[in-house]
Order: sequence, then structure tokens, then C-alpha cells
Amino acid sequence: MTDPLLKIENVVVDFRTIHGTVNAVRGLSYEVARGETLAVVGESGSGKSVTARAIMSMLAENARVGADSRIWFDGTDLLELSELEMQEIRGNRISMIFQEPLTSLNPIHRVGDQVAEIIQIHRPMPKKQAMAEVLKLFQEVQLPDPEARLSQYPHEMSGGQRQRVMIAMALANKPDLLIADEPTTALDVTVQAEILTLLKDLQKSHNMAVVLITHDLTVVEKTSDKVVVMRYGEVVERGNTQDVFANPQHPYTRHLLESEPKGRPDELDPDAAPLMVAKDMRVAFRIAHGGLMSRKHVDLVAVNDISASIRRGETLGVVGESGSGKTTLGMAMIRLLEPNGGQITFDGERIDGLTRKQMRPFRTRIQVVFQDPFSSLNPRMIIRQILEEGLIVNGIGKNAAEREELIGQALDDVQMPRDAMQRFPHEFSGGQRQRLAIARAVVLQPEFILLDEPTSALDLSIQAQIIDLLRDLRAKHDLSYMFISHDLKVVKALCHNVMVMQHGDIIETGPTSQVLEAPKTEYTKRLVDAAFKVVA
Amino acid sequence: MKQPHNPTDDKPMVDNRPQIDVPTATETMNAETATGPGLSYWQLVRRRFLRNRYGVVGLIGCLLIVITAVFSGFIAPYDGETKDRTAIYSPPQMPKVFAPEGGLTRPYVLGYAEEMDPNTFEIKFVPDPEVRHNLALFVKGDPWTFLGLEFETHLVGTTDGGFVHLLGTDSLGRDVFSRMVEGTRVTLLMGFLVMAASCFIGTIVGVSSGYFGGVFDMLVQRIVEFVRSFPDLPLYLALVAILPRRADPITVFILFASILVLLRWADLSRELRGKVISLRSMDYVRSAVAVGASDQRIIGRHIVPNTSSHIIVWATYQLPEVILLESFLSFLGVGVQAPMVSWGTMLNQVRDFQSFAAAPWLMAPVGMIVISVLAFNAFGDGLRDAMDPYSND
Repeated sequence: MTDPLLKIENVVVDFRTIHGTVNAVRGLSYEVARGETLAVVGESGSGKSVTARAIMSMLAENARVGADSRIWFDGTDLLELSELEMQEIRGNRISMIFQEPLTSLNPIHRVGDQVAEIIQIHRPMPKKQAMAEVLKLFQEVQLPDPEARLSQYPHEMSGGQRQRVMIAMALANKPDLLIADEPTTALDVTVQAEILTLLKDLQKSHNMAVVLITHDLTVVEKTSDKVVVMRYGEVVERGNTQDVFANPQHPYTRHLLESEPKGRPDELDPDAAPLMVAKDMRVAFRIAHGGLMSRKHVDLVAVNDISASIRRGETLGVVGESGSGKTTLGMAMIRLLEPNGGQITFDGERIDGLTRKQMRPFRTRIQVVFQDPFSSLNPRMIIRQILEEGLIVNGIGKNAAEREELIGQALDDVQMPRDAMQRFPHEFSGGQRQRLAIARAVVLQPEFILLDEPTSALDLSIQAQIIDLLRDLRAKHDLSYMFISHDLKVVKALCHNVMVMQHGDIIETGPTSQVLEAPKTEYTKRLVDAAFKVVA
Repeated sequence: MKQPHNPTDDKPMVDNRPQIDVPTATETMNAETATGPGLSYWQLVRRRFLRNRYGVVGLIGCLLIVITAVFSGFIAPYDGETKDRTAIYSPPQMPKVFAPEGGLTRPYVLGYAEEMDPNTFEIKFVPDPEVRHNLALFVKGDPWTFLGLEFETHLVGTTDGGFVHLLGTDSLGRDVFSRMVEGTRVTLLMGFLVMAASCFIGTIVGVSSGYFGGVFDMLVQRIVEFVRSFPDLPLYLALVAILPRRADPITVFILFASILVLLRWADLSRELRGKVISLRSMDYVRSAVAVGASDQRIIGRHIVPNTSSHIIVWATYQLPEVILLESFLSFLGVGVQAPMVSWGTMLNQVRDFQSFAAAPWLMAPVGMIVISVLAFNAFGDGLRDAMDPYSND
């Protein structure tokens, strides 16, 4: 292989925090050559993004780079350069794509101007000429209707389109090195595949070196030449992607590779009685627009006359892209959101139209687990208080000792140690927090749990564990789930039946295996492809 | 290229971190580790605060001022009403430790002899080496009460019972230092009263308006806007007009405080409303609804604790503002009325240029105002930084 374009040696990054020094990266070395894609894989907290920021010298103020660290880029040590010299390189010879396309574009400037600015900073030229280049870039990143996009604002575009603009921005000055930090994590599955394909094509045509940071192993396998597996700021394993995937050496790599959600939902009793039945559910949001005098209302129909039925012991998957109304449907069914119409029957009793007080007796029987484990646990309460709340409110358990025993059992159920009770939520990782959120639902011994994307905020390897846990709990407590997700891989592992939604309507419904193997509609087919093929 | 790796080599991110027991074998494999040791929010705040020197200095200053207010009877050498008829407009006396005959001696002050300038007929005070009062700690003096008990011991005084005026005297021969110390009490009491009451009202109104929303919120917000649009200075001046001529100073004090409260709660309630609206849609609040918790419980357990840092910081910023306002209004003669002593009423005595030129030491309370405002602001700044949940240090 030719000389590497980027070669980092013994990179050490420490953060000075209130708890003392945290070693985020401990002596990391890797290299990338022109035209090569290096995937850096690891779970959150493994130091993969911190390294990327160190290369760009964009670290937070409390970060310190070790004295022996070297970052060679095309023969120069980037760590020796002054901030002014780094500005010459950033966005010009090295560019970066961030995870969140919503926040990395300035909302008050037109996207065309934002990309043109990057060009003009590094290559002074008239605005007109710069705009012409931007147009070419937009065509290159396959933005539909590129001329019209130039004068649009970020909020007028979808997530995938914004990420394309970000890529155009990164490519604006024909960089030698592109660092992509989880470029597809925040996007819908179907869009993810398109963006990855685009990145791969662009790399070929520009002969760039690419450092792809991700936690998604499927992405790594399909797009990279070499791979570095990181844990605790250190390299665990490195090598050619194919070799590593075919023959992983380190147990951690094996663990990551094995952590794809797998298994099948356990058999469903065919005679099970329906538990939760929703008929003709309709939810519409009223959006006001226009001036003070000419106020108009538009009803945005989020859920359009949908009927769903979940039998006792059944897991129903609700699948769709963001904005398809799947969460709205779920929240309306458990009465956390007021539906505009429809009937909800739970265990033979009508629960639509009940007041909050009348709903009380049903609350212990119907529970919910939210998507983001970081916002679903009150940061000011210890775990014991969080889990105890439902017990106290519903008068379960005579005294504190009895309640503590119930909480302890719930913690056992979700495989968390009992001493977690005295701790605060911030002491736990994302996966552990999600276990605790599940424990909060389970402690009330419900019959039905709404799972609103419980795994999508988590790293892939932890997703699989949560899925296994949910399946075990279902069998142990005879639960019924409504499982909302955009990830068909997870759905396949957990759900008996599946319902595909788009724009508030049901597109397709049926047993999971049937829908996944023989999708009837184009939309379902796209979702299936995105989940199981990644790069089409 | 490929290095052999030791599979047991799994160091945690922070070495001195207490390990959370990991439940399953697979979980040990995950790099995802919990962040930070077991510190509660308030422990973290305390640690962050103590690292901030400016804030700590502010806190010490605040504590000293509060201690001064609480034990004002002990710290002040005399009662605020005690008049030294021999010393009208007497300048400050500097404690000395060097004896006139040379060498160190116990601290003493010299009395003043009055001299008249033969040309201008201006009365001048000259230190009189003959009148020497030795200073001592814990001397007996004017009685003062604390928690209903009567004491006579004062922090400093003279051994022979003569007067010592560290900051001079005013037109009636009252000790400026003693009055300033006593004034701390009224000024701070006013500050704390207004702060506590406006926090209480602001929190209740802001939280309920943000939480319940709808028509109630709309009405409350219009009231808040009305209150905030009120020109406050004319209102304070109007207070004089509506008060009975010979009103009890306590009544004036309370009325004055209530008017301040009336105009101040609105700010907090508006800030809190916004915060509560965002908290209301947090998943942990929705989970509380999902387990069947009542509004009362959700507000008390979830909403208010998560706004507490906001309220506390607002309160620490409020105190210096009230102190400034109180001194300003009392200076105008609108606020606290004699015989109550506050820093503002003391400054009221130097309204005209003549008394200012003749006795500049009467401005001493200005120093106290500046110090206390700086101290409370520094403390508030430090608290705000320490309570910021997003600071990543």
C-alpha cells in the first residue's frame, strides 16, 4: 500500500472533569490511505468520536491531548499547527460530516449560501462562480431539484436531504480526507441506505480517504476496507474488514458481531382472547397559521381511522418511517394522548372517553416504555423513588418494606442489581437506563405494555440484549406488547404480527414472516431492503 | 499489524470509579459504562461551586453579612439610638497600636477636642492626646436582646466607658458604625422577605400556568404582562400618598415590602412557565401520568424539583436588586421610615451638599451596599455556573 494519508500514533485524550480525569482515548493508532475507507467501530463512550475531533482539533476546552501523540496528515503533524494554520486545513483538506443534520446547518441562512461560504473562505472567488459550484455539488450529491434547493432554508428539507447538503458542504473544497461521524444514525432506515451508497460512490470518484465512525456493524461490513474496533479508548482489534468479519480474534469483536437481534417470537396461543382493540382510531393535530387577522387552521391527520387488535400474549409490531403516525397511534391507544375519534376496548371494557380519574384502575394494567432512556427517568429522583411512584400512587404494597421487595423483584426481572435502588439515573448507561425504564413498567405487573422504539436510542449490541429481555419478560409475565419501531430487524425478532404505516394510514398488515418475506407494497419492500441489505 | 490482545484487559474509564455491578456476562462486554461516581445532583453542585473562587468569596461575604445582621446587637458597640452629646458630626477615630511615647501598646483611640477656626468660625475636630480610650473585646455596654434574652456584652468597646466612634457620628451624635450594623438587619430582612414572597408567588403562578395551560394560562399571562408594564417608580412614590400621615414604621415597612413583591413575582413566573412547558412534555412526566399519578404529585415530585435550580439562582440575583432598590427609595425618604434604621435611611441624612461636605463619613453605608451587592451577585453567579446541568467539566 502507498503512504498513508493520515496516520495517527499513540493518541491520548484526557478530559478533566469534576470527577477527576477521564481517559477517553488511550494510545490509539491507525492509518488511512487515499481511496481507502477505514471504519472505526465501537459503542458509545469508546472514544471514537473524540479521536475524530482531535484530528480536526475541535476538542472541548477541558480536553488535553497527550504529549507523545502524533497526528500525521500528508507529512505534517497536525498537533504542531497553530489554530490559524488548522483553519486552512479544516473544511479544505479535511472535512467532517456530523451525526445530526438538523443542528449542523444554520437555520437562518439559505443552504446554497452556506455551502458557497465554505468555498469562498478557502478559495476566494465571486459569489456567482461559487454558486455555480454549489449547484454542481448539489447535483453530485443527488439532491432532487438542485436549482430550487439553493435558495431553500434547512427547515424546508427532510433529514436525508439535509445530510446530502452536509455532504456537499464537506466535499466543497475537494478534501483529501473525509471524516464521517455516524453520518446515518439520525436518519430513517430507508434514507440511511441511500446516503451510504452516495458516500461510497463519491469516495470512488474523488479518490478520498474516508474515516467512517459508526456503531453499526452492518454498515461497516458493506462499506469499509479496513476496520478498527475500539473499546475504552483502545484498539481491541484491527484488520481488513473481510478478515475481521470472517474470523474475529478478540472476544469483544465476536460479541459485537453476535449482537444482531436474532431469535423468533415464541409461539402464540391461537385461541388467545383479544386484549387491546382499537377501532377506527383518528388523531388530528390542529395547526394554526396565517396572521392575527387571517388566522386559519389546518387539521393534520396523524392517524387516519386505524383499527388494530392485540391478543393476550401477542406482540404487534408497528413499523414506519418518522412522521408516519405510529407513536401517535400508540399514545392515543393508551390514553396518553386524546384521540379525535374511535373506540378503544381493553379486556372487554371501553376505555375511550374515560376521564383521567376513571382511567386510574387501568393504568397499572397498561404501561409504557419510552424511546429515550435519558429523558424518561427523572434526574432528581433515585431509582427506588422512580420505581416506587406507581406503587404509591396505586396503593400497591402495604408498607415501605413490601414495596421495596416488589421493586427488588422488578430489578431482578430486568437483570439489574438490587443496589441500583439507591442510585441516580445519571449513574447508569443508556442500556441500563432502558432496563430501569422497563422495570418501572413491570413493577406494576401490567398486562399490556406499549414499547415506543425502546431500542432505537441504544447501541446495536445493547439493542439485542433489550430484545432478549423483552422476550423473556413476555413469557414470564404473560404480557402483550405493542412494539413501535422503524427497524424491521428488531421487529422480526420480537413480533408475531406487524402493521406497516405511512402518513397515518395502514399500508400492509399481517403475520411478521409473511410481511417480511413477501412484502406486497413498494413501501414495505423498501423498508425490508433497508433493514436487511443496507447498501442496495 | 494485528496485535495479540489480552482478553481480560478491560479497564473501566475512570479508574477510581466505584463499579456498578454488572448483571450478566454479556453486559460486561459492553463498552458503555456509567458516567461518574455516585454523586447526587446537589453533591455535584457543591463540588462545582467550591471550585469557583469568585463564588466562594461571594459566599463568605454573604455569610458575614448575614451574621452581622443576626448578631447586630453584639457587633455594634452602641445602640443605634444612643446619643453622644459631646460628639456631633465627630469624624471617624482610627484605632492606634503605636503609643505616642513609642513602642507597641494595646489598641487605643484618641478623643477629639473641638477647635474653632478663627477666620471661618468652622468647628474642627483635632485628636486630643490627653483623652485616650483603650479598646477591649467583650465589654459591657448598651443592653441588646436576642431571641427574647437580654445581653449587655459587645464585641468592642472602651475599658473606661468613654465613647469610640469608628466611623464617626451623625448630626445627633449617634454612632455611624453601630447604626450601619443595625441597618444591615432591616435591609437584609427586607431583601429576604421580598425574595421569599416573590419566589413563593412566582413559583406557584408560573408552575400552575405552565402546567395547566389553556385559558388559565392565557389569563395569568395577561396579568403578568399587566404587572410588568407597570412603571414602578411612580408606584413607590404613590405609596407615600396613600400611607396615613402618622403610620407605624412597621406598617410602612410591610406595605413597602408588599409593593416590591407585587412588582417582582411576575418575572419569575414568566421564566418558570416556559421551563415548565418544556418539562411537561418530558418522558418522565408522561410516565408519571402513565402510572396514574395526580397533577399534584407530578407538580410536587417532578416539575418543581427540576425547576429548583432556576428558582434558587433567580432568588440570589433578586436579593442585591432589592437591597439597591430599598436604599434608593429610603434615600428618597419613601421607603423605610425612622426610627427604623436601614442603609437607605442613613444615606437620607446626606441628602444635601452641606452635610455631605461636613461629614463625608455618613456615606459609609454606601460601602456596605456595594460590598453586599457584589457578594450576593458573586454568590449567584457561582451558583448559576455550578447548577448548569450542561457544563461538561
